[in-house]
Amino acid sequence: MKRTLLLVLLGLFWVSSSIFAQQRTITGKVTDDSSGAPISNVSISVKGSQSQAQTRSDGSFSIQASTGDVILLRYVGYEPKEVVVDASNILNVQLQVSTADIKEVVVTALGIKRESKSLGYTAQSVSSETLTANKQTNMVNALQGKVAGVTITSTGGAPGQGARIQVRGINSFSSDRDNSPLFVIDGVLMDNSTSTQGGGASRGMSNRSVDLNPDDIETINILRSGAATALYGLRGSNGVVVITTKSGKSGRINIDLQSTYGIENVNKLPEVQTTYTQGWLGVYDPTDFWPSFGPTVAEAKALDSTHPDKLFNHIKDAYGSGSQSRNTLNINGGNEKVTFHSSISQYNHNGILKPTDFKNYQARLNGTYKVSEKFSAGTSISVNNSGGNRYNAVRYVEQLMYWSPRHDVNDFREENGTMKAYGTTSNPRYVAETNKLEDNVLRMIGNANFSYKPVEWFNLSYRLGLDTYRDNREAYAAGFRGLEGERLVSDNGVSPATGRGFVRSYDQNFVSINSTLLATFSHKISDNFSTTLVLGQDLYDRTIKGSAVEASDLAIWNWYFLNNANVINYIGTSKEKYRLMGLFGDFTLNYKDYLYLNVTGRNDITSSLLAPNNSFFYPSASLSYILSDHLDLPSIISNAKLRMSYAKIGKDAAPYSTSLGFGTYGSLPTGYIGFTRPNLKGNPNLRPEFTDTYEAGFSLGFMQGKLDLDFNYYYAISKDQINSIPVTTTTGFGLASVNLGSLRNKGVEVTLTARPVRNQNFSWESSLNFSANRNKVISINPELASSEINVYSESGYLDSRVTMFVKPGKEFGILYGRAMKRYYSPDEIAAGLDKTDKIDQNRPILIGANGFPVLDAVANQKIMGKITPDWIAGFNNTFRYKNLSANILFDARVGQSSYNQTGNFMSAFGISKYTEDRNDYKVFEGKLADGSNNTKEVWLGQGKDPKHGVNYGDGYYRLNHRGISEYFVEDASFLKLRSASINYSLPGHLVSGSFIQGLTLGVTGNNLAVWTKFSGFDPENTTTNAGSSIEGFGGMTYPQVRSFLFTLNVKF
Amino acid sequence: MKKNIKNWIFLVLAGSALSLQGCKDYFDLNENPSLIAKPSVNSILATVTHKTAKNSYNVASFSTYYSQYFASPSSSSTTDTYQVSNTSGTWNAIYFAMADIHDMIEFAKESDAPHHVGVGKILMAFHLALVTDTWGSGPYKEAFGKVNTLTPKYDSEEDLYKTSLQLIDEGILELEKPTAYIAMSSTLDMIHKGNRQAWLKTAYAIKARLLNKISKKSTYSATAVLAAIDKSYTSNADDATMGIFSGRNDWAGVATSNLNNVLGGWLSSNFIDHLNGTKYGLFDPRIEKITEKTVHGVYVGTRNGQGNVGAANTIHDECYISLKSPLTKDASPLFLITYPEVKFIEAEAAFRSGNPERAYNAYLAGIKANMVRLEVEQAAQDSYINDARVSVGKENLTLDLIFKEKFVVTYLSPEAWNDARRFDYKYKNFQMPVGAALGNFIRRVSIPQDELSRNSANVPTTVSLDVPLWWDKP
Repeated sequence: MKRTLLLVLLGLFWVSSSIFAQQRTITGKVTDDSSGAPISNVSISVKGSQSQAQTRSDGSFSIQASTGDVILLRYVGYEPKEVVVDASNILNVQLQVSTADIKEVVVTALGIKRESKSLGYTAQSVSSETLTANKQTNMVNALQGKVAGVTITSTGGAPGQGARIQVRGINSFSSDRDNSPLFVIDGVLMDNSTSTQGGGASRGMSNRSVDLNPDDIETINILRSGAATALYGLRGSNGVVVITTKSGKSGRINIDLQSTYGIENVNKLPEVQTTYTQGWLGVYDPTDFWPSFGPTVAEAKALDSTHPDKLFNHIKDAYGSGSQSRNTLNINGGNEKVTFHSSISQYNHNGILKPTDFKNYQARLNGTYKVSEKFSAGTSISVNNSGGNRYNAVRYVEQLMYWSPRHDVNDFREENGTMKAYGTTSNPRYVAETNKLEDNVLRMIGNANFSYKPVEWFNLSYRLGLDTYRDNREAYAAGFRGLEGERLVSDNGVSPATGRGFVRSYDQNFVSINSTLLATFSHKISDNFSTTLVLGQDLYDRTIKGSAVEASDLAIWNWYFLNNANVINYIGTSKEKYRLMGLFGDFTLNYKDYLYLNVTGRNDITSSLLAPNNSFFYPSASLSYILSDHLDLPSIISNAKLRMSYAKIGKDAAPYSTSLGFGTYGSLPTGYIGFTRPNLKGNPNLRPEFTDTYEAGFSLGFMQGKLDLDFNYYYAISKDQINSIPVTTTTGFGLASVNLGSLRNKGVEVTLTARPVRNQNFSWESSLNFSANRNKVISINPELASSEINVYSESGYLDSRVTMFVKPGKEFGILYGRAMKRYYSPDEIAAGLDKTDKIDQNRPILIGANGFPVLDAVANQKIMGKITPDWIAGFNNTFRYKNLSANILFDARVGQSSYNQTGNFMSAFGISKYTEDRNDYKVFEGKLADGSNNTKEVWLGQGKDPKHGVNYGDGYYRLNHRGISEYFVEDASFLKLRSASINYSLPGHLVSGSFIQGLTLGVTGNNLAVWTKFSGFDPENTTTNAGSSIEGFGGMTYPQVRSFLFTLNVKF
Repeated sequence: MKKNIKNWIFLVLAGSALSLQGCKDYFDLNENPSLIAKPSVNSILATVTHKTAKNSYNVASFSTYYSQYFASPSSSSTTDTYQVSNTSGTWNAIYFAMADIHDMIEFAKESDAPHHVGVGKILMAFHLALVTDTWGSGPYKEAFGKVNTLTPKYDSEEDLYKTSLQLIDEGILELEKPTAYIAMSSTLDMIHKGNRQAWLKTAYAIKARLLNKISKKSTYSATAVLAAIDKSYTSNADDATMGIFSGRNDWAGVATSNLNNVLGGWLSSNFIDHLNGTKYGLFDPRIEKITEKTVHGVYVGTRNGQGNVGAANTIHDECYISLKSPLTKDASPLFLITYPEVKFIEAEAAFRSGNPERAYNAYLAGIKANMVRLEVEQAAQDSYINDARVSVGKENLTLDLIFKEKFVVTYLSPEAWNDARRFDYKYKNFQMPVGAALGNFIRRVSIPQDELSRNSANVPTTVSLDVPLWWDKP
């Protein structure tokens, strides 16, 4: 198939190249005039002709031209250059670095193009080259470590698994409010939600920007500050990711074919004990529930000759190796009037947890049409179909915890195909093979835009965008076959038809329409002053419909049709509409091209709040001062700019947060309809929340681009946060919509870019992104101030659950849990010193009369850590040596903690390496209640100790250790070698003359190394899905993978 | 032409922008299409009658471990060994049900549906009793939005008790009204099929149960209990049951899961020994209708706190809740309160009031009715009842005997644990669980974790779980 395609393309090229036969091929190389380094991606065109080319990574190019033609060379950051073609076929050109290289044009809010220097706020952009360097297929993952102020979390290593993106920390208290930035693609609002329908919450579903082909992206511009996003209105209150896709250029048709193949395996696993086998109280039983509380392997072998010589490492065995392949084809070109960019791609990924997989087919067509000098139009459309088999990683790890390493977890099928297991334990591998959720998403994003410029000072543009998808999910599990000795698989069924199979169908239809009208007026008041005014209207209209059918008890065990199910468990439909309109203005005053003042205002009308709270106005102002254009600075400073801004941004509620009513009661059988209160208590009096953001910063450029520094400080307060928070069910509701309180975020962002070496053969470019954010809950609604606002919690044994509570005066994202009591003297207790929620690590641990540490009361929840990092950083390096280029990306996140629930289970079930001390004697260090030092020796084992015959019951790990959250909320700081890649481009002379314009071979390694103290899977993992703002729970997750990708790229 | 098109586009765009601004309805989407504003009182009746039976099951699903009908197959199980456990799920289900009951009462008042009001008040009383008998105190006066607060205050144990009695009396008054504009639906009333008289009997049965609960108090009135009994059940047919399930009876679900190795419903050695002759030397034939023999052909229970002993779980060498029992078959109904229980309330009250004859007759009638319910063969019934150790004669009747026999009758009822506490666990050879976290028998359940975190300001001070409830002390 691929070969046929290639042949067709070759044929096409043979024909098209013959068209230019009367011209001749000019080849050459473009280099930097000061360093001599080759410059890639220089666009080269022949004036008055359609002939066009780009330089390869070694700076070489070839183009069709005739003697006397004028060749125009352009590249960002360099002065454009024109060269006349003479008799020679070789043309080597040197480009000069532009002295005003910050005259770069960036796409800001609503597609408004601004000179970068005029911006009074930060806008960091990522080029297509940087974005695709590590071959990530999810564009959110592709941004990891490349932008300051943006935290990206890859929630796990499943194929297609979602990635979370947050700009400048958490903006909203509750976990179900979207904290991720707004995604805008070519001016159209693009949904990036992570749908959890059909039990997808723990199945690592994709965030919807997975639908976008990263190779189609020309640039991504991240707008972080309020002033930058103000025009987007409330939808942009978490920052905005502005994506511009590639467009064709007039000239020859370019074809680019890229094939990637990759392999992967687990990057990090918890360490397991290898001494103790199955059983309880040291008594061996190969069918026992307890996986590792039996005797030693040697002792068990003496009793049971079938016992393996060594225990299996079942956690390691449960994950295999994965693979992926991806092929993309880009074709673009055009003429003076019409340009196009088209692409098609195919992606196939098989995960390490069998049989998870993910497939994605994508196609795009972008076109521009210049009707006249005054009127131009464009369209773009992308279609994709993605999905795969997702598995519940939480359940998988939980079941692995129950599995005994005495048995091979990969030996999971009996000869008759049913589950092979022991005792009452299910084999997790078998369950994964027979319990599936497959999603199938068909999505289309399209837009049509028009621009009309009747006079020089006026421009009218309109864009209509559509983002629509259908997310269909089928979940099914094998039923019961009724074979001799067949085991019922409890996961594969619904009580009361446990293990008898199920089939479920979910369907979600998403349609959003986005319309933007902009009128731009420009006026030059005098030589010193010029102004621009933009007035506009923006409309967003979204409808989400869903339906679900859940049925169980299959008549034929493997025929997964709803009509094969004996019991219908649930049928339902849902509908949600949301509408938002903004009217806005944006005024810019430019003084002598070095001082810019920008003022904006926007009024939103939203359907999710009730009048009069549904219409609200908010302003922004920003100032940009280009010192280097105003004053004479030392020559070492090539450019210097100061900027500051203030913005206020409103935010509305989730749809229907104001509504009350009754829903159906779901537990009745068919034929009975009952009504009940919904879980959420709507609040008709909700007010919009507002965030005030203050920001100041500067950028400095030294030695003509050798070193650039960008610094930013921001301070933002969100007031009247709208949240749906869990409330006591004695209110008759489980959740209530409230204006909960205020949250403050402040921080710094630094970007340092250096190009220390740049010469003929070798160049090195290095960029460092650093950001630190601090937040604090300023106040809480007085009615709820005494309650603990439980944002998220995961269980732990012996009530050692770890909970994230919101408390006024504290940071957001603090994890609380059950601690060991510390020793306080009677006087200190009388003074109330022990009544703190902080653990005083300097105090001795309180030891009970039984010689073991005393667990604090469950009600005395203590601070275990926080989910927010102290700082994050990314360090990206690109080296180029002749035709060889290399990229190395490190990223770090430091200071955050994560609750390792897997660790809690590994203590409770005696799986962790450290539990090998279970039959040791120990004197716990600490003080008794009377203040004396503990000297009592205790045994850590189960039952009666061999020395003194004291009965220790279930033993230290069951009775004590597993109930101490302190052991399981771990430092999750990490440094990662996120990716490293090497690309080799075939030298120009090897490919010149043929229809192949360039050929590049590359190897990329992702997630190559991680340095961390975290004992579980990858510290970055979260059990919460990509759409949730909750981090810091990283126990039972889909492990991350280390992958190696091999890429072949051919340009025609 | 070209210019015209441009003008046209301009006008349309500008016009549409302005018209949308003027169109207020366009942004008025407050009404959630997935919810309805006011459902019919009968449709809420369906919800609340179903939820009430489920909640009786929910509470019993853990209190049966405290009264030692069940024992966990795992050693040191949280419930068996009196550890603090998180009962948020049950608490929440009870309060969600009460919110629906509250709404039904309010809507019924507006629409002249006194019988719905009456049933609502009785079900509310039933739930308040579940709350106070399990956790002690809980919100009522400020609950369900009666007061606009997100943190309702707690009513004291005594207030909850008094409120539930008062609700019963109010409910009876409403049910005694002969006509209603909206009648109770015979299909959507899942307990008494819209039968007002049946509800009245149930109201009195619950009233008798409530009045009898304060047997330790000086305010206890046997006369009042017997007066309620007089207007209450007269046969097994009167029982308040609910048998409509999406799936099957919840206890049958426990039994099925257990057969499928999702373990639960293991009968305690206390209960098995109560029936199989170990404790009393007399074999109670009801055991054959409650459980099945082990693979070794005997009846063996599991000791609370000890967990599975003997062979692996897959070998059925102990007794479990059974799918063959008339109480726990797939299609068996759930019970709220039954005729045999009422008979034993009568026996106790009559005994306390010094009327041994009435007490003795009620005692025998209760055993008999329970045996009929359990489909025990006539001969087996007779031989058990006629045994001298059962038919002791009215002059030899003791409270111990009444509690001993009532213990069998209240299998799977949350009321059993109330009785155990009233009786101070003085059943013969009733043992502390192995590895108990308390020094004494358990007397209450700790306020659930959800309340501690969401309504902490109002949750009463934590006390040890062996501290008796208000009605459990003089």
